[in-house]
Amino acid sequence: MMTFLHILKVIAIVIAALFALTFTVYIFNLDMKLTAAIEPWLLKHYDKIDRDQHL
Amino acid sequence: MAKQVGADRLGDFYKEGSKVRKRREWRGLADTMYDYSRWLKIMMTLGKFVMKPRNVKAMFRYRWMANYLAVPMMVDRHTQGLRGEYLRICHEEQDLVIDDVAKLLDSLFRGDRRIGNDKKFSDKVVLVDENEMTAVMMGFPTLKCLSRETPSTYVSVLLNQYAACHYIDVAQEFGLAGDVCPMPEAEAGVSIDDDAPVLGACAIQCNTTCDGSLLGNGVISQRLEHEDGIPVFQLAAPLRHREDDVQEYAAQEIRNAIAFIEKHTGVKWDWDAYFECAKRVNYATECRQEWLEMNRTPYPQVFGSNLALYTETNYMAICGRVAAFEKADRKITKLARQAYAKKKMAAKEYRHRAIVWGVQSHYYMDFLVWLLNCWGIVPLTDMLSMVSTKKLVTEDTPENREQAIYDMAWLTENMIMRNRTHGGYKVLLDELWEFVEMFNADMVILWEHMSCKALDGMHGLFEEKAREKGINLVWVTHDLFDPRIISRQGVRDQINSYMRTVFNEEPIDPSLEVLPDDKSW
Amino acid sequence: MKDLKHLIYFENLLLEANNELVQKAQADGRICVAYTCENTPEPLLNLEGAFSARLRAPRTGSLDISTYYMTSFLCEYSRALLERAIEGGYNFADCIITPDGCSMMNRCIENMELLKTMGQGKDKFFFEYMEIPMKADDNGLNLYVLQCKNHILTPLHEKYGIDISDAAIRKAVAEHNEICELIRAIGDYRKEVNPRITGYEFNVITLATYVAPKYLIKDKLKETLEELKTREPDENSKFRARVMVVGSEVDDTDFIKLIEESGAYVCADRFCYGSLPGRNPIVLNDDEDALTQICRAYMNKGECPRFMNTDKMDHRRIYVDELAKEYKADGIIYEQMKFCDPWAYEKMMGSHILNEKYGYPVLAVDRPYSIGNSGQMQTRVQAFVESIEIKNIQRGNANG
Repeated sequence: MMTFLHILKVIAIVIAALFALTFTVYIFNLDMKLTAAIEPWLLKHYDKIDRDQHL
Repeated sequence: MAKQVGADRLGDFYKEGSKVRKRREWRGLADTMYDYSRWLKIMMTLGKFVMKPRNVKAMFRYRWMANYLAVPMMVDRHTQGLRGEYLRICHEEQDLVIDDVAKLLDSLFRGDRRIGNDKKFSDKVVLVDENEMTAVMMGFPTLKCLSRETPSTYVSVLLNQYAACHYIDVAQEFGLAGDVCPMPEAEAGVSIDDDAPVLGACAIQCNTTCDGSLLGNGVISQRLEHEDGIPVFQLAAPLRHREDDVQEYAAQEIRNAIAFIEKHTGVKWDWDAYFECAKRVNYATECRQEWLEMNRTPYPQVFGSNLALYTETNYMAICGRVAAFEKADRKITKLARQAYAKKKMAAKEYRHRAIVWGVQSHYYMDFLVWLLNCWGIVPLTDMLSMVSTKKLVTEDTPENREQAIYDMAWLTENMIMRNRTHGGYKVLLDELWEFVEMFNADMVILWEHMSCKALDGMHGLFEEKAREKGINLVWVTHDLFDPRIISRQGVRDQINSYMRTVFNEEPIDPSLEVLPDDKSW
Repeated sequence: MKDLKHLIYFENLLLEANNELVQKAQADGRICVAYTCENTPEPLLNLEGAFSARLRAPRTGSLDISTYYMTSFLCEYSRALLERAIEGGYNFADCIITPDGCSMMNRCIENMELLKTMGQGKDKFFFEYMEIPMKADDNGLNLYVLQCKNHILTPLHEKYGIDISDAAIRKAVAEHNEICELIRAIGDYRKEVNPRITGYEFNVITLATYVAPKYLIKDKLKETLEELKTREPDENSKFRARVMVVGSEVDDTDFIKLIEESGAYVCADRFCYGSLPGRNPIVLNDDEDALTQICRAYMNKGECPRFMNTDKMDHRRIYVDELAKEYKADGIIYEQMKFCDPWAYEKMMGSHILNEKYGYPVLAVDRPYSIGNSGQMQTRVQAFVESIEIKNIQRGNANG
């Protein structure tokens, strides 16, 4: 019984931690702030690709 | 930071020089948790998408894929200030569209000769334009109907206002005049820049909305047919689509297109599948009509970009072929009825009832939400949502099979935008005033897409008629895909100055009047 | 070279839409059928009792009013026509027939209709809009025939009692062909190494055949052809290169004059209002009705960029190559009227393909409706001529 409660507690803590983490990301828009930082790097990468530009 | 509609100063979420907003809205506990749960769902959709190595490979191959980093922000822009049913309707639509686009991307890269190179899959793919009714695919349930332009340009600009600029520049470097519509111009630019996935058994192009679009297809087919070896059928829908004497021609074009697909894919037309899709199209029409009916009352429910973006996807790109949209139609209608019964409003004050006409700015699709939140202008309906309401035949009989060909032709002729920009002045000019009356509107927001010749050509007559009828008509000029010509603030300023000088009004939310979103996605 | 006897006469016909021959034909009791687009089958507008006048707006000045109605983003041709219509310049016409060739022309004519600019005092006046095919195939042909019946023949018959029988149509085609053959014969002199007719002169003569009743201009064309047979070209040609002009609507003879004054002889005219393919005769057989054959001829010869099927698109460039060879062009000038969507794309495609695939020097320009004496355009053409000369020198050196 104790083990079961312990497992439940761990699950609850993990869920709460995940919620806290994802909700923080959500409310502070951290996902978008991260991808906004990635974009310039990606654009530089695209500029380096050789392309067969023609009609 | 409150549960009540209109409690926030929405402009405060923007930050000068930033691509993204400072934080997400707190909408009260229930609505925030709902929005958060939908955000999680979107993250899972995106997560599932990047789990496949071929999709990651595509991310590093195609420039336009960088825009998909901004997916959650697109949803945030459209849900600004929304609460309750409005928020739920918006998510119901946006999340489904996102899911559909993710599947489209996944399929494109699966068949793409450069990425997944699944030849067997590619042989079941029929490429279609971005601006094309997919009615002709309703009887081919085993084939994949994919548009390369939808994710590379159309959705990209919804995600990132500057998404098309690179491709516009490429096309102009090759000598294309800068005064053509930037949408086909960008699509041609993608082709010239060698940035379109290469796949498919064949392609069906259409003389879609305008001369530019038609000719832009010519650039794309040059590469498709002559280099990639993908046969192309050009489906020519009549321009004067209201005339009886063009319908036989239109129907024959549909027959020819079906025969072409059958020939190049080896798949036979399936009438059962067609009639199943036709039922869904009819259901979508019924729902849309019910929403529009509500919008004629003081308590509109499905309007603004909720109506525009969804109709565009459901009516044109889906055309009854995806069952999930029927489910969404049902849910949206239920939510709308619920809110209507409670006489709910999407903003704290409704000051003006507007018909939005013309071709909307693609880089500022959430402008309709802004109109509502900033000035209390309710965008009751828009030109692109006022499409065919004709019921299709759904019972499989020999006569109905013949009628079904005409139904598909009718849908193709009455594709979004072209049903108003072509077909004579009546459908563009005269019917606007009928809608103004029908919806009891007191103003018309008239998008003037500066490169859209069909609309520009009626400029003076719009003004004269508005004056004659005593309707407040506000011109909002823009360049569809290119915010470098007229910025989002430039778009807003046209409304701001009209509201202040003509109506002598103050904004409901002054923080929205001037926004530092010049660098924003 | 000695001046052509009737050149001034032809030039004068181009000074007004309502020129002296239009007036004379109307005085003869014929009705004037106005039209704007090359995709309108001309013989059907020239049945006994009727004559066609393709609308132009010569000596265009301010476009203020039409710009108000259609904004500055529409091509100047469509705006110039509307402006002239608002000024009352087309009141002489008895009807107007127009296909939805492009959005701008369609809007131009619709504005004319809604603003009641034409047909004042003419009870029988009508506006007719046609759907014309965008592909050359059997389905397109059926549409063309039906549209010509419903929007040209039936209204002409019902309103004005014009004979629209097969025999009448065949007679109109014969007259049309007579003009085409004269223009062709005159135009063939452009193939000479030292031509006895300038591109400008030819352009004036060709243009006159679009805007004046054919039966009244025929004699002058015949005389001009006779005159050309013995005309001596200047020993030392002022031209340094031969160019072919390809592109959108040109009814401004000053444009051709400007090119020639800049040193390039215009040896072929593949543009809307030009003779290639606009003045191709229509060959009829006796097995099929004339209307269907006319429509097929127009559909197959059409080089307008609105034709969207791949064969047609490819043929546009093949045809330019064929003409360039036939007329011995050293280079090609692709021109596009500013704001013309169809030609904006075709100019881009054609200028690249003719250069990269077929190896011609190509100049791509955009231009206003009425070019006047544009220094900018002169500079561009002069530079193009020089580049052709340099290439020729280099080629000569390479060949020893």
